[in-house]
Amino acid sequence: MLYVKNLHKSYQSGNKSYNVLKGIDLSVADQEFVAVMGPSGSGKSTLLNCISCYIPFEQGTITLGGQELNGLDENGLAKIRNEKLGFVFQDFMLLDGLTMRENILVPGIIRGKADKKAEKLADQLLTLFGIEHIASKYPADVSGGERQRTAVARSLLNQPLLILADEPTGNLDSKSSRSVIESFENARTKLGTSIFMVTHDSFAASFCDRVILLKDGVVYDSLEAEPGHREGSRGAFQDRLLDAIRKMSSMES
Amino acid sequence: MMTLKDLEKKLQKADAKQAKLYLFCNFISLLLITAYSAMMFSPTVLLVLPQGGDSRKQMVAIFVLALFGCVVFTIYASGLFFRKKAKQLGTLMALGASGRRLLPGLFREVLTLSAVSSFLGIVAGFPFVWILWNCFKLISDSSQMALTFDFKCLYLSAVFFVIVVACSCLNAYRYLKKTNIMEVMHEEHRNEPVRELGRWCGPVGIGLVLAGAVLGYMGPVVCYYGFQFYAPAWINILYAPVFVGLYMIMLHTVVYGWRPRKKDPYKNLIARSMMKFQGKQTVNNLLVSTVLIAGSVFGMFYLPMTGVERAMEIKSRPYDYYYHYRADQNVPDEEEISTLAAKHGLVVKDFKKAPYLSLGMDGITEVEEGRSFHYERIPFKCEGRFLSEESYEALTGEKIALEKGSYMAVCKSDGTGLQFLEETAQVLTNMETFQSIPVKFAGYAHYDLLTDSSGYYVLNSEDYESVGQDLGGEWMGEAVFFNIDGEDSYEFAQDFFYTLISSFGPECEIPSYYDRVSKYYANSQGEVYWGDTPDMTEVSFSDPDSSNFRIYWKYMPKSRLLDQTDYNSTFSVFLMMFLFIAIICSLAAVIIEYTRCMTIVLNNRYVFEDLKRLGASPGFLLKEIRSQAGPVFKIPAIVGMGAMYFLYILLMYGNDGKITASEAGGMAVCLFILMGIGLIYYAVYRLAVKNMCHQIQG
Repeated sequence: MLYVKNLHKSYQSGNKSYNVLKGIDLSVADQEFVAVMGPSGSGKSTLLNCISCYIPFEQGTITLGGQELNGLDENGLAKIRNEKLGFVFQDFMLLDGLTMRENILVPGIIRGKADKKAEKLADQLLTLFGIEHIASKYPADVSGGERQRTAVARSLLNQPLLILADEPTGNLDSKSSRSVIESFENARTKLGTSIFMVTHDSFAASFCDRVILLKDGVVYDSLEAEPGHREGSRGAFQDRLLDAIRKMSSMES
Repeated sequence: MMTLKDLEKKLQKADAKQAKLYLFCNFISLLLITAYSAMMFSPTVLLVLPQGGDSRKQMVAIFVLALFGCVVFTIYASGLFFRKKAKQLGTLMALGASGRRLLPGLFREVLTLSAVSSFLGIVAGFPFVWILWNCFKLISDSSQMALTFDFKCLYLSAVFFVIVVACSCLNAYRYLKKTNIMEVMHEEHRNEPVRELGRWCGPVGIGLVLAGAVLGYMGPVVCYYGFQFYAPAWINILYAPVFVGLYMIMLHTVVYGWRPRKKDPYKNLIARSMMKFQGKQTVNNLLVSTVLIAGSVFGMFYLPMTGVERAMEIKSRPYDYYYHYRADQNVPDEEEISTLAAKHGLVVKDFKKAPYLSLGMDGITEVEEGRSFHYERIPFKCEGRFLSEESYEALTGEKIALEKGSYMAVCKSDGTGLQFLEETAQVLTNMETFQSIPVKFAGYAHYDLLTDSSGYYVLNSEDYESVGQDLGGEWMGEAVFFNIDGEDSYEFAQDFFYTLISSFGPECEIPSYYDRVSKYYANSQGEVYWGDTPDMTEVSFSDPDSSNFRIYWKYMPKSRLLDQTDYNSTFSVFLMMFLFIAIICSLAAVIIEYTRCMTIVLNNRYVFEDLKRLGASPGFLLKEIRSQAGPVFKIPAIVGMGAMYFLYILLMYGNDGKITASEAGGMAVCLFILMGIGLIYYAVYRLAVKNMCHQIQG
């Protein structure tokens, strides 16, 4: 469903150029929940921002649902972001002047389809993520976990192929993190969405089907969970993850 | 169904607070610009400030500075607005709204805000001027102070309005054209570090300010004296190093500060880093405030400099009254003046009268050839009033012995007042018989009361007799001094003044620059004398209390009491216009500084929150706030005031190569005024700090 091939990205600081992504290859299958982990500066967020086309990249191809994203004009990219991708940011990025329900409806409004059907779907998402009681509240009036679940609900309104989440649990306590991860799990199982999540949190990553380890701008390793691990062996998968991260870190030192 | 338009409306409503700041900044800018241009185009001002005169040039120059300040301020305000708006725009773009779809809504919002604020600013500008001018009238009133508007001034406001709207729309377009959406989303927290140049930039900046001031001032002088060339207007570009220097001083202030930190390198570390990482905005704000304060101080200095000089000159007069007249005029004699004085219970004493001849003088003049000129001797350059040695002694008590064929020019006792004197004459001509005598310049005699814009000279008595033969009353005159025994009365002074005017014929209804010899020469060359063109200032017997009449009438008497009492009303429009300029520029500077302080807290709210979490006491936070707000107020005040004070000293010195006692007195008064202005700025600084603390606590 998502294919990334030979992706390169560099940043310019003064006269110096820093290569952040050095030829990334990866893919995400339908209804797959994939996490990307790695130390700071490994290129995780840059990778996510390139996939979402928030930032331009120099080389490589990104294909989403059979459509190549390179070369699309601004309107084409906007359409992809609105209809085929959903976004969840670390700092939520909810609009302060709108209620939680209205925030969820924003992608529909942009699409020009904030109709009864969209409103019904927004209400269903509110219920699905257990935030119906804050539907008419404003972002400033609710907790971080509730804000992030609202952001997850917003990312699902246009029923995208893929949700891109950048450190979605980074600003949350463990209870809120758990509820956000459950929201992703619900989105995947009940709405059939794929999720691509960048995280530092091994607990959050242990719920994924697959974890890609990134180091110095290249894919260092990819760990696959055993089927049904969420029910039984999630803890074992988290241990495997921590081992792999430790190994990666020891190689660095 | 909610549409994107509905969504934008809702968001705009929620963003009312940041919109208010933008509205306020635009409103203030338009109000100040409209008010200034309303005064600049007002017939009240234009009728009094002479066309092509220094006052008008200064008024326009400061307007350009104010305009520059307001343009930078509105760009700053729109930048702030969009920084706050960026998160919203970025989020919508990230969720799939293309720039093209967001553009109409954003333009609509920006246009509405800009148009409403600008319109209100323009409309409020006129009542603002009216109120301020009427307050001035309480200080100083005259018939000329009646305020009238010429609505042509709205053209300037309209141009400024277009600039405001264009800048805002351009800013909006710039954000929506960005390809890096993450950059847009995090714009609000993006630092704008200024490019560091090194610790040398401060001292070099001071050097550039000084060099620019000297270069700018000396440029036209060098062109004129060195190359016999009238400097074009663009030569003012030589002042450019002043602005570059100011920028470098501000940069040094923001990046390094001026105090050595070797002893305590961590002192004000947080405040310095906060300033440094919003360096661009800070430096721009400091620069604009400095320029505006300099403009304000320039306007403010006009009052004491003219006032003190005049007050000292009036006080130093050895006689209460001086007047002169053509011999063919039926002017009251000693007896008639004594009778007039008696009507007011006064006695005239020390009455002295001496005749003079008005002679044609040859001399070296500038003959224009486009922008350049060459010097050429012409036979009839100007008219000079010549006293004989005896007459001069009778009037002044000073004995002068001149060789035959020589003359002296009368200047002030401090050696100034030379600009209207002719030292190059070799021939003096009787303008009725055209008989002439050869002469040479023999130096200066000094007597303040005989120094005016027409020029008095002393001639060897034998020459006086020979050249004055057969000269009629039209070319002869009398100079008169007298005192009042005891205390003078204003009623008498007025009575005397009006009586004197009524005794002159229409042939004397001319300004002091009107020169009959120049006119004769111009006409003999088949040219129209410039004094007969509309360029010459008009004076009218029907309006003897007008500034033009009192300042420019050729036979204007000097009366100590009248000059002292009527000083305010005679110069009211000059004084009040410059006071107005000073207030407008100060107001603009203070508003910019205050807004800057408020945005420092708004932008760095999270830093102060973090400091609180790290255990910073209210006292520590107050210190940090003061460290931020201090330079915003202090540096522009010190640099703007200091630079203008220095420039004024330079101008005073440049006038005649010395600082006279009255100029020194004026500069001393200016120093007190600077202290007063400093106190006002300090009060606003305290208010800003108080409100900054309130913002943090809120």
